[in-house]
Amino acid sequence: MRERTVTPRPKARAEGVVVRALGEEVLAYDLETHRAVCLNGAAAEVWRLCDGRRTPEEMRRELEKTARGALPEEFVWLALEQLGRERLLEAPAELPAALAGLSRREMLRRVGLAAGLALPAVASIVAPTPADAASCVPSGGPCADSAQCCQGSTCIGDTCT
Amino acid sequence: MRRLDRPGWAAGLTFTSYGVRFGVRADSERALARLAEFLPPGTKEAVPGFVERLYSIRTGEGERARRGLRRFQLLYADHVRLARTLDARELFERFESDLQLSVAAAARRRVFVHAGVVGWKGRAVLVPGRSFTGKTTLTAALVRAGATYFSDEFAVLDAEGRVHPYAKPLAMRGRDGRQTKVAAEELGGRAATHATRPLPVGLVVVSEFREGARWRPRALSMGHGALALLANTVPARRRPAEVLATLERVVRGAIVLRGARGEAAEVALKILERAR
Repeated sequence: MRERTVTPRPKARAEGVVVRALGEEVLAYDLETHRAVCLNGAAAEVWRLCDGRRTPEEMRRELEKTARGALPEEFVWLALEQLGRERLLEAPAELPAALAGLSRREMLRRVGLAAGLALPAVASIVAPTPADAASCVPSGGPCADSAQCCQGSTCIGDTCT
Repeated sequence: MRRLDRPGWAAGLTFTSYGVRFGVRADSERALARLAEFLPPGTKEAVPGFVERLYSIRTGEGERARRGLRRFQLLYADHVRLARTLDARELFERFESDLQLSVAAAARRRVFVHAGVVGWKGRAVLVPGRSFTGKTTLTAALVRAGATYFSDEFAVLDAEGRVHPYAKPLAMRGRDGRQTKVAAEELGGRAATHATRPLPVGLVVVSEFREGARWRPRALSMGHGALALLANTVPARRRPAEVLATLERVVRGAIVLRGARGEAAEVALKILERAR
């Protein structure tokens, strides 16, 4: 018996995320994990289309309207894979069987063949705690006295421990 | 805490800094008088009452020393002991660093970003970074090159994304790791005061010292620029929505450059050239 596959309809996470648009880019802050994520224009555009109704194929067609040329299906999947990894989708979108075996490098190569388009890219950091962002010497760093060490560590010898 | 709360405190002070209320109690008037040097800029004395953080300082001054007994000086923040030391300077520096961090984390209507700041031609240049990235060295070089000193510790941002001075003396680190406080005037420059008008940010320099590196920075997009600032923002986790809105205003009006740098003196001139 053939296995039935369900076409995913990715939905952008709206709760627990602070979102700011910066030109074409989007900055999203996850209130649970304290990760701040920067989506470039292409990734932001895919995320905008994740309304829980469109399939990746419908997204691709939608994106083609604004792009100068045809887009490979990997373009959308590359973005969805990164959005899922950064917990910006309500549920990660499972790659179709035809793409599941591809390495990220191979997918990038295929998408890169699409003319004149920036690849979907996502960068993220973990927001610092107040102590992380402070001007004190972290554990293992050099010091002359304990006042220079971050809270909870002491200067022993010439190292914050 | 119960032992701490026993009577015997000779002096006390309540003050506010950036809208946060603090209290200090000490076992001698002299210990309290020494605190003035370690308080953040813009601190105002307040009427005693509820405080958000209470420091207790026990120096043992005035008590008769027992022969052969070393007397430790103690610093507590609320019920947590921050320092137990024989060196009074160390005690006060620990007080200063904890107080600064508490202010930076809890300040009202201001976002504190860990950064060096100078003013140049009506705009601010920000050098965000953690310890040991050469932030103070570069800030000092910018001051020597003619920029106005705002801070070597925090960029204090208001809701418009403008920077207010936080001009404590620069904490220059020697080769032995020991910090010396140096006034901007000692570097041949000048410092902004608490009364100086806030400046919009013109340039953000994200850089780290690397021996022999040539200054060839690349401009970051607004989003990546905001991430670079966020990585050094003290209340990032506590007030993310307000922080992102403030950082957005900064990066919309500023150029953000990232790159490794060599000697600070050479790079400072190039930075000021770019900041025009």
